[in-house]
Amino acid sequence: MSRQASGLMAWLMQRATAVYLAFATSYLVVHFFFNAPASHADLVAWVTRPAVAVGLILCVPVLLAHAWVGVRDVLIDYVHVLGLRVGLMLVFGFVFLASGLWSLKAIITAGLGG
Amino acid sequence: MKISVYRFNPDTDTKPRMQDYEVKTFQGMMLRDALLEVKKQDESFSFRHSCGEGVCGSDAVNANGRNVLSCVTPITELKSPILVRPLPGRPVIRDLVVDMTQFYEQYRAVKPYLVRKDPLPEQEILQSPADRDKLDGLYECILCGCCSTACPSFWWNPDKFHGPAALLQSWRFLADTRDQATEERLDALEGPYKLFRCHSIMNCVEVCPKGLNPTRAIGHIKELMLDKGL
Ligand code: SF4
Ligand code: SF4
Ligand code: FES
Repeated sequence: MSRQASGLMAWLMQRATAVYLAFATSYLVVHFFFNAPASHADLVAWVTRPAVAVGLILCVPVLLAHAWVGVRDVLIDYVHVLGLRVGLMLVFGFVFLASGLWSLKAIITAGLGG
Repeated sequence: MKISVYRFNPDTDTKPRMQDYEVKTFQGMMLRDALLEVKKQDESFSFRHSCGEGVCGSDAVNANGRNVLSCVTPITELKSPILVRPLPGRPVIRDLVVDMTQFYEQYRAVKPYLVRKDPLPEQEILQSPADRDKLDGLYECILCGCCSTACPSFWWNPDKFHGPAALLQSWRFLADTRDQATEERLDALEGPYKLFRCHSIMNCVEVCPKGLNPTRAIGHIKELMLDKGL
């Protein structure tokens, strides 16, 4: 059971989120390169298409999860003073959580505002 | 030919220095021959070596920034002057002789032997040629340590990360159809350190004098964990 925890799961999460992000960024790059929205109205129309909206909203937690595993790896590799490492993990955890909530709020208000 | 070797005696020196020697070369000369020549000129110089033909794994050193097995490294392959240092990241006992204790501890930790739960047969446990082939590229490791001491993850956490050499051997026994401790072996590797500090940097593959591929073996272990764990 212990095998589920911090090693395999973290690695799997990093892999899976990386795949999603790779597809999402390639799509965004290609879309904005070949088919960039001409006006703000076009952009809104594109963003509010359900598939696009869901895809973009999903990017937020996926990106945060990916970044969290990465930051945790860097801290485990380089910061060996336990107190400092825990402190930094808390700081990053807080910043990531806050960014997640903030994006969520931004998305909701934008959605409500139309 | 000029060769510059790392000198340090913890008992008498406060800090290490590089010392230059002039060595006469000959056709087919290996780096180990050059070190032996230095030793002839200066008895106080220490390095490990034994078989002279890439079998015992005792003479790994860092030459011009790269971990090599000195007895199978022709000096013609090295840019002159040759700078010879001890394996990186290991405590120096004297000159090129380093303390490999942690490396051997990691090897011991993966239980590098067959574990059998069924009663042992009278004769040997037979294996099909196809199953035996799975061990190729794994069993050839001579534990020289070139790989692990070139691995940044091993430098940062040598006490916790098993390192490429031990993990290659871990896979060697996981891949062996005669072994019956797959679950225990995988359980023992869980957690963020022992296996998962490997970030596929592939320094290990780059330097292995036997042409082995620990990164691939580590990937196989992760796949097997996924297979068994989910
Ligand atoms: S895998 Fe290669 S470099 Fe590493 S200890 Fe074995 S023989 Fe040496
Ligand atoms: S692939 Fe893994 S084991 Fe090999 S050098 Fe890189 S981090 Fe170390
Ligand atoms: S002296 Fe034995 S491997 Fe080089």
